[in-house]
Amino acid sequence: MSSSTSKLLIPLHVQYIQSLGESKDDLLYHLTAHLRMNAIYWGLTALNIMQHKDALSRTEMIDFVVSCWDDEAGAFGAHPDHDAHLHATLSAIQILIMQDALDRVDVDRVVKFILSLQQPSGVFAGDQWGEVDTRFLYCAVNALSLLGRLHELDVEKTVGYLRQCRNFDGGFGAVAGAESHAAMVFVCTAALAILDRLDEIDQETLGWWLAERQLPNGGLNGRPEKLEDVCYSFWVLSSMSILKKIRWVDADKLIGFILSAQETEHGGIADRPGDQPDVFHTHFGVAGLSLLGYPGLADLDPVYCMPAKIIERMGLRRDWEALPRKTE
Amino acid sequence: MSAEFEDVLLYAERPEWADVTPLPQYQGVDALAPINYSAEYQDATDYFRGIVKAGEKSPRVLALTWNIINMNPAHYSAWQYRYKTLLAMGADLEAELRLMDDFAVTNMKTYQVWHHRRLLLTALRSPAAAAAELAFTARVLAGDAKNYHTWSYRQWLLVHFNDDDEGGLWAGERAWVEELLEKDVRNNSAWHHRFLVVWASGVRRGDEDREAVGRTESAFAKDKIALAPNNPSAWNYLRGVLEHTKTPFATLTSFVELYIVSDAAEAPEVVDLDNPAPTEGAQLPCVHALEFLADVYEQEGGEQVAKAVEIWKSLANEHDTMRKKYWEYRIRDGLQGARA
Repeated sequence: MSSSTSKLLIPLHVQYIQSLGESKDDLLYHLTAHLRMNAIYWGLTALNIMQHKDALSRTEMIDFVVSCWDDEAGAFGAHPDHDAHLHATLSAIQILIMQDALDRVDVDRVVKFILSLQQPSGVFAGDQWGEVDTRFLYCAVNALSLLGRLHELDVEKTVGYLRQCRNFDGGFGAVAGAESHAAMVFVCTAALAILDRLDEIDQETLGWWLAERQLPNGGLNGRPEKLEDVCYSFWVLSSMSILKKIRWVDADKLIGFILSAQETEHGGIADRPGDQPDVFHTHFGVAGLSLLGYPGLADLDPVYCMPAKIIERMGLRRDWEALPRKTE
Repeated sequence: MSAEFEDVLLYAERPEWADVTPLPQYQGVDALAPINYSAEYQDATDYFRGIVKAGEKSPRVLALTWNIINMNPAHYSAWQYRYKTLLAMGADLEAELRLMDDFAVTNMKTYQVWHHRRLLLTALRSPAAAAAELAFTARVLAGDAKNYHTWSYRQWLLVHFNDDDEGGLWAGERAWVEELLEKDVRNNSAWHHRFLVVWASGVRRGDEDREAVGRTESAFAKDKIALAPNNPSAWNYLRGVLEHTKTPFATLTSFVELYIVSDAAEAPEVVDLDNPAPTEGAQLPCVHALEFLADVYEQEGGEQVAKAVEIWKSLANEHDTMRKKYWEYRIRDGLQGARA
């Protein structure tokens, strides 16, 4: 592993993502089965952004997604035979849209499942077990919007909960009363963007809080006095992009930090230089680079975290701003 | 990971499980079908799917789900079914919490661990149990003082039970946060919690005089800034207090001016309790202080804006070059505001 590289190693990362499905004998594969659908979404989105969307078999992927349908609940689980979950359901919809196969979904049933998870406070549970937080609220808003069924959501109730999660520093937490955290800032900001309610945000204060996340080595952290991590390249940048303040980061330094977290032998991007890569950080590293205008990448929509072209075609584009694409 | 289970028979080998039909993992998609992973995990989850299908809720289900979550703490179906089984059996939920204590410490970054406790506490409806949970989370946070799940759970307990009687759940929070900040003045989670306790969750018993509370909190933040002037959490808290109480930033000018000099020796020698000086050896000038003073000038408006612009320029070009673009924006915005 080396940190000397100054370029995004696209062919290597494509190979890395292709190799991920090949070790199903591992116990690790099964211990992470609850994230399988999400992992496929991360891999496929990263491939799309790197302009290699066909590097994984489309048919196999669609078959897998469909095999995760939980017919009792009327939504998708993360893996065949897993109970339906909102996060897996969003990933399934995103994958099928990227593969142009949304006709494989019983939209009415999925919408019913999603709406059934909204709690009296306005927040959403992830599944019938009832774990609640703003991540699931974003999953619901995003999925309903992608399915063209946002009008069935009780927007006031939903926004009411987000308001309760807003903190004195301008940020948002996972639940009412919880500390501001960049990942939660993303889910709340993006949900408000989809709902056309960015006026709920103290944009000056939040923009400043987000700019403060950049550390002397160029990387971004998720909370004050915490370590930098490549995944915040997406959580922080997407929020700044939605607030049209992405110009406030030192782009060259951040690009340098993300590139230094690449694994240069087998591919993939880690949370920080020298650590083991994984598909989550590979995806969010590539996503961050796209928003920073890194040459040769496709545009990423920061609100939906999907290829911008697809979101535009669906007529869902919100008013965000990334850095202009550089040429090599 | 399976060391502690090594001597244990597989469920398939135990006579007391012979009445359950194990259900193997879905094998329908050839390309993604599992072949041969951990035998213990496969065996346990096969029997788990078997008992779920049969709808069994019994003590052995608790043993089985305990086994599975020890192998895979993120197996949410096992958690979910365990909880339903506990309720169906009328089990002792406090005993369940004690069983889970060490497990929660080892797996504190797993969402399910905390959600399970939240469900148990909701079902228990007992402020005494909630008080015991506050003590438990304090123990966990002693090991990892910034763990987000543990903090959110503690905040949920306080808000959910909202017991503000004398000696109630909220009563010890401020003193406890102070202890945490004694240990690490840069713990942003503790600063956030202090804001929640003092300002963002209603008025606590004894805190009715909000002006006095504002003065106390502002003094508290200033003392902590003196200890570590470049600590963003303390400055954020101070700003939060001023904004929440609608106190003009200018009331702190004499304090802030102690932190914008480039050498601490330039600071006045007189001890002023209202305006504690930076600790010896602190790195000065402090960026947060410069920023604060520029805000004061900008709020005053008129000719003062020029002074703010000078500070912003020094931040952009010298003291905080990483955020050059942000400071350049502030200069443009400030000048525009001054012209308007």
